[in-house]
Amino acid sequence: MKTTIEDRLLLTVVRPVITVRCMQQRNRKRIEAGIGIRKLSLYREETVLELGKAPASPVSRASVAAVVANPWVGTGVTTDLSAEVGEVAPLLAKLLTDRLIDALGGADRIEAFGKAAIVGTAGEIEHGGALIHTPYFGNLMREFLQGESIICFADTRAEAGEELIVPMWHKEHAATRSHYQTVSARVPDAPRADEIVVIAAASTGPRPHPRIGDRATDPAITAQTLEAVLS
Amino acid sequence: MNVRKIITIVEEILTEGGRPVSPAARVAIVAAVIENPWSGQGYVEDLGPGIDQTASAAGALLAPKVLEALGAPAEAYGKAAIVGLNGEIEHGSGLIHTLKFGDHFRKAANATTLLPAVEKRGPAGIVFDIPLKHITDATIRSHHQTVEVRIADAPHPNEIVIALAAAAQGRPQQRLAPLTTEQ
Repeated sequence: MKTTIEDRLLLTVVRPVITVRCMQQRNRKRIEAGIGIRKLSLYREETVLELGKAPASPVSRASVAAVVANPWVGTGVTTDLSAEVGEVAPLLAKLLTDRLIDALGGADRIEAFGKAAIVGTAGEIEHGGALIHTPYFGNLMREFLQGESIICFADTRAEAGEELIVPMWHKEHAATRSHYQTVSARVPDAPRADEIVVIAAASTGPRPHPRIGDRATDPAITAQTLEAVLS
Repeated sequence: MNVRKIITIVEEILTEGGRPVSPAARVAIVAAVIENPWSGQGYVEDLGPGIDQTASAAGALLAPKVLEALGAPAEAYGKAAIVGLNGEIEHGSGLIHTLKFGDHFRKAANATTLLPAVEKRGPAGIVFDIPLKHITDATIRSHHQTVEVRIADAPHPNEIVIALAAAAQGRPQQRLAPLTTEQ
């Protein structure tokens, strides 16, 4: 039987590295128990009306959150994170983008994207960054969602149930102002102290009624503009 | 019925209590953020006409969506009405505590029991828990469960969030003795 992404994350996350390094007893127990990933949570919203008016293009936004064991809990600030990143991040990129694509009707329908991490209180922000900021996650997410832009992000360290607002921008032209937008992500019972919530987000279009211009139409704004306002 | 937005949430639980859950436990919620049909009308004595205009349409909108999101036959279900601060809880109750609303879900899910419910009033972003019970026998203890929901910008004061929840199974790692075993 073919091993699914979920199986890999569930059963083999960071196992080789951790066994070699004789990680803390608690971590080894966790791996043995097969709790690399605990749950997945999809949130999608479709705006039908905004201030009573239907958007010119109906847009859906979605975030998908995966609750994973923090493989670096109990390690020091000089620990090399790269081995676990190479093992875990590609699986997460595939798992999360598969669900995003499914929730939004196809990669070709996705116009904007973003990513985020919520680190449990026993971890470092650096641990969240390790899972979302390297090519092992970012390049794959960009490729699977058929984008070209750098992927914008948010991260925080928090107790379970904290909401994070995930920023998104255009997947091919990051400066496209109509596509600057956000979507919320929240897992009520995660992250536990020794977990990380890893999030991928996407939108099928712009804000509901975009009308604040764009770089192509902006006049030149300088300090003299302020002086003119003040005079 | 004026719908502002439709929210879909799908939870998949892969491990619980440190042990794998196989297949993953699935719970889906679909919520519609609608304008309170009685908004701006003061105290309305007869809610019947507003219920007739809205409840069936809300049930017809949400029932197929929540089953599609679940992607599996529903074994447990529940419902919610979260009223914005300018409304009465009675408004939300009016929309969900009628067969005109629930029968859409019961029919689509081949269900027979009454839907357990939460009714609550609060600001946008309020957290609410939807209780779920088995769709044909509300005494089946393994299927008593709850799912937590929060919608960041709803309900506005003149809105109501109407939601349905469905689970494809009971609690992950459920292992309580059935009701019938107790004296």
